[in-house]
Amino acid sequence: MASSEGVVIGCHTVDQWKEQFGKHVDSKKLVVVDFTASWCGPCRVIAPILADLAKKMPHVTFLKVDVDELESVAQEYEVEAMPTFLFLKEGKIVDKVVGAKKDELTGCVEKHAEVVVAA
Amino acid sequence: MAVSGFEGFEKRLELQFSSHDPDIGIGLRELDFKSLEQVLHQVQCTVVSALGNQHFDSYVLSESSLFVYPTKIIIKTCGTTQLLKSVQPFIHHARTLNLHVTALRYTRGSFIFPEAQPHPHTSFKEEVVYLEDNIPTSLCYRKASVIPSKLTSHSWHVFSAGAVECSDNVPLDLYTVEVCMTDLDQTLARKFFRHPNDGKNGDSAGREMTEITGINRINLNAKICDFAFDPCGYSMNGIDGDRYSTIHVTPEDGFSYASFECVGSIYNDDMADMVKKAVRVFGPGTVSVATTNASQDMCTRIKGAVEQLGMKCRSFSMDEFPAAGTVVFQTFTSRRNRI
Repeated sequence: MASSEGVVIGCHTVDQWKEQFGKHVDSKKLVVVDFTASWCGPCRVIAPILADLAKKMPHVTFLKVDVDELESVAQEYEVEAMPTFLFLKEGKIVDKVVGAKKDELTGCVEKHAEVVVAA
Repeated sequence: MAVSGFEGFEKRLELQFSSHDPDIGIGLRELDFKSLEQVLHQVQCTVVSALGNQHFDSYVLSESSLFVYPTKIIIKTCGTTQLLKSVQPFIHHARTLNLHVTALRYTRGSFIFPEAQPHPHTSFKEEVVYLEDNIPTSLCYRKASVIPSKLTSHSWHVFSAGAVECSDNVPLDLYTVEVCMTDLDQTLARKFFRHPNDGKNGDSAGREMTEITGINRINLNAKICDFAFDPCGYSMNGIDGDRYSTIHVTPEDGFSYASFECVGSIYNDDMADMVKKAVRVFGPGTVSVATTNASQDMCTRIKGAVEQLGMKCRSFSMDEFPAAGTVVFQTFTSRRNRI
């Protein structure tokens, strides 16, 4: 397993974001982007759940974007409340989950990855 | 009225903090999730979902809601939760962040099933004794009072305490509105029951309830975090800038109940309209509205808005509390009310 699979990849600069985005824009791989903030309690609630999902679904790419570090990206995607999860395929938004909602997040990942997560 | 059932009426606690350090940073939002869970465990509730923005964090709990601002905590729980047990742990955790409590307010309506409540909620007297014993002596200005109405089933209980530095510090621009509704219209209440085998989870079923009931249209600016309980029941938190709103529903006939709580600002004009829209969602037989720190004009406008729904105002009383300001308590009944 490649080192970037099974974990949530943090994008800390615009360049890192563009690199990750560029990698997947031509593939059918599901990309889940977690827009998070260090000052947001709800983001801490969902973090372990997201890490667990990443471990169980290595064929899905999980990215983490801090809205303060990458303000321009957060604004581009109109992120107003946190956590916000964007689901991307071929560079386009196919779904969105706003809030630390375990069942909705898991369900959405399963739906778009077309695989059921093992319990 | 049923002999026993789920208690929808919530207990609400608001704690205000301050620091000697001029740079508070994110204050209470710094609290890690484990600490929050510990406090919630003492109250017998858990986090179901959560949502935050640059101003505050909101949590939907198994038994209502929690809001965490940098210097303020608001927790509201229903059922037979022992809410007051969170007082000491919250004050303790805040101290680890160099924050000390400067004001505390505990409010609730009248329980539908008071005998089912555990210590220290077996009576208001007992709650007051518990609070007096568990809050720091620095909160030296204290007042406990029950604001009555013409309906024995609807009174408003308030305990408010403030420190010396808080006595003149009631915020000028913000006020709180707490609406309690009972005897819900059965057809409307049915929308808060899950359909068996609907293929949904609590989050998606909650979203659907928010939409079909029109709750999403009460405040079009709010970002909503909602949840539908199984087999019935619903909760939502709305976040709009630095203001929250929250709705909780116990739809079962015999003890049906819904609450709508919202923070208002003197700079926004829409509160009366929001209260009207919220009450319309439920078609209740009885409504009580308690406002804290709202202007006389706003109270009158809210009264007018509820009356526009065909309800009759039965009482309009008020009282003053340290660190909280004026609390106005109004009750309304519908013309079809069979009480």
